Amino acid sequence: MLAVENLRKEFNNVVAVDNLSFKIEEGKIFGILGPNGAGKTTTIRTILNIIKPTSGFIGFDSKPITDEFFNIIGYLPEERGLYKKSRVIDIILYFAQLKNIPRIKAAEAADFWLRKLEILSYRNKKIDELSKGNQQKVQFIISVIHDPKLLILDEPFSGYDPINQQIIKEMIMDFEDSGKVIVLSTHQMETAEKLCSEILLINKGKEVCSGTISQIKKRYGKNHIKIEFEGDGAFLNSLPFVRHIDNYKNYAEIELKDDTMPHEFLKAVVDKINITQFSVIEPTLNKIFIDVIKESKN
Amino acid sequence: MNLKKIFAVSKWEFIERVKTKTFIVSLILTPLILIIFTILPTFLAETGSRAIETIGLIDTSGVYLPLMREKLEKFRLPDGQPNYILLNLSGKNTPIEDLIADADSKILEGRLEGYIMIYHINEDSLMLEYRSKKSGSLYDIQRFEEAFNEIRFSLKLTERGIDPEIVELISRNINIRQIKIEEAGKETNVNFFATFFSSIVFLMLLMMMIIYSGGMLIRSLVEEKSSRLIEILISSCTPYELIAGKILGLGALGITQIIIWALVSLTLVSSSLIPPQIFNNILPILVYFLLGFIFYTSIFVGVGSIVTSEQEAQMITTYLSLILIFPVVFAITIFDNPNSSLINILMYIPLTLPSVMILRLNITPVNIWEILITITIMVLSIYITILLSAKIFRIGILSYGKRPSVKELLMWLKMK
Repeated sequence: MLAVENLRKEFNNVVAVDNLSFKIEEGKIFGILGPNGAGKTTTIRTILNIIKPTSGFIGFDSKPITDEFFNIIGYLPEERGLYKKSRVIDIILYFAQLKNIPRIKAAEAADFWLRKLEILSYRNKKIDELSKGNQQKVQFIISVIHDPKLLILDEPFSGYDPINQQIIKEMIMDFEDSGKVIVLSTHQMETAEKLCSEILLINKGKEVCSGTISQIKKRYGKNHIKIEFEGDGAFLNSLPFVRHIDNYKNYAEIELKDDTMPHEFLKAVVDKINITQFSVIEPTLNKIFIDVIKESKN
Repeated sequence: MNLKKIFAVSKWEFIERVKTKTFIVSLILTPLILIIFTILPTFLAETGSRAIETIGLIDTSGVYLPLMREKLEKFRLPDGQPNYILLNLSGKNTPIEDLIADADSKILEGRLEGYIMIYHINEDSLMLEYRSKKSGSLYDIQRFEEAFNEIRFSLKLTERGIDPEIVELISRNINIRQIKIEEAGKETNVNFFATFFSSIVFLMLLMMMIIYSGGMLIRSLVEEKSSRLIEILISSCTPYELIAGKILGLGALGITQIIIWALVSLTLVSSSLIPPQIFNNILPILVYFLLGFIFYTSIFVGVGSIVTSEQEAQMITTYLSLILIFPVVFAITIFDNPNSSLINILMYIPLTLPSVMILRLNITPVNIWEILITITIMVLSIYITILLSAKIFRIGILSYGKRPSVKELLMWLKMK
């Protein structure tokens, strides 16, 4: 289990991370979400022990993270790049060796991963002969070649085409099943929504909200409904329990006031227009993200 | 410190560098420059012309012709052929103007390399000229002049009734042989050019190696920084292990280069293409060479972690290595007076110490305590530089964008 308690990091009196706390169990994917400059990377770097926190505690299996943890941490940074003039296999073996994996075992694992990501034929090629997507696959291999217990992925899907995004997604889910602690930092709310068991939304270094996806949706979920209809829908705009409405000619998206149930709304309008479709929509994480960040700005 | 990881880093740095084209080019190019510097002067200075030259001679007195021929015949080409064929262009009754016109046309036709004219104006005065299409080789002219003067000298003395044997005896030239005393009972022949060039060549080699490896180190740091590989690296090993590995790897690269060059030079010495006295002090020179190399490399680690672009990196490596060869400006001073006070100061500054010592070692006997003190200074400075560089490195590699100010750098150094 990874435990972060009251993490705080200051750079030259600027607070980058302010009093963050969270716990991640084995076999769980934890999403750290937030706008640019929210403090995600700083949080990740302190977990990686690359930079020291100003205060707070970071522990893995209730031991503080020290240099001994190098070999169980796998890290995929957001910005990608490799030694352009070096061969794929040499780079993989080099980083495996830095994680203390014996050469023979590393070579086996390298071939396994190259095959799995369908780039075995590039094994002996130089990096700059590979396409950008394939280079990223090599980098992904580097982050998992030593079978890390703690895997930190910063924007793992950026730069991949949809097919490869799917491959990477499946792999991350495999890691989840095999009991790794996975930290996922991303802007892609849709992916986070599908993959993460728990998320932490931060802004300006502070926690904005956290919890499981369903908890968050419940907390921030608003009464959203969508109707398609025939007839004059102009009266919808002035109904007392409508907080916000996007009214098109035969279609409307409506946000109801908190104490109004969707069926009450339905009852009130069913005689006046001919409803062809009616549904309650769950807010997307994306919507929550935007709303919450906007709110915290005000 | 995890030695295994340090070794992994140094192995990677070494192998990835050795494989590059630039390394192979520098490996060949540098000895080539060494050869040009050491062999060419020897060649040019000692061999003179390589083909038989037909030289004309106009001698209005007629006395010099046989004697000149005799003198010039002694000069031989390496294959035993005579260097000069002397052609008599004098004519008893022809006016000198016609002789000259005739000889000049022969030169223009290419039948003669040039001709010597000995023209008696009167009993006591005489004119000596060498006329040719191109201004003649200094070497040839020096020979002609010497031959003529020797002949004239002995003719004049014999005219005054001096025993030809005595004339022969005193006209024998004796050249100074320079001997350098290094230790009791041991003498070394000094070949000025050889010592001068060997010291300069060692410095050039050191400078090129530093520019080349330093540039490579900084470029790789800039690459690692801009690609964020550095973050993967330091989430795998400590910055100190990374630095130690990089310096070791480059050190190994330097040693490889030195060994290959040493082998090349040994072959050249054994085939007597370069004078062996160049290698008289090779051991201490190599020590300073290596210490200087490591010292500059460790500076570059610190510098490399704060530069933001390759151009900037290139500029800094070049400026720093200029400091290294700064003492070459004083090379002549060092030759004149190897113990001058300026040299005594530069000798103890780590940036210039290696070059001053490399220059001094070949010129003047150096006390063993001087060697010990300077080596200690170098080792200590390397240690301190690595510590400081590591501190800057640790923070510098993670700060992207703008270069830190001096104030920020000082703050980094104070950080625990």
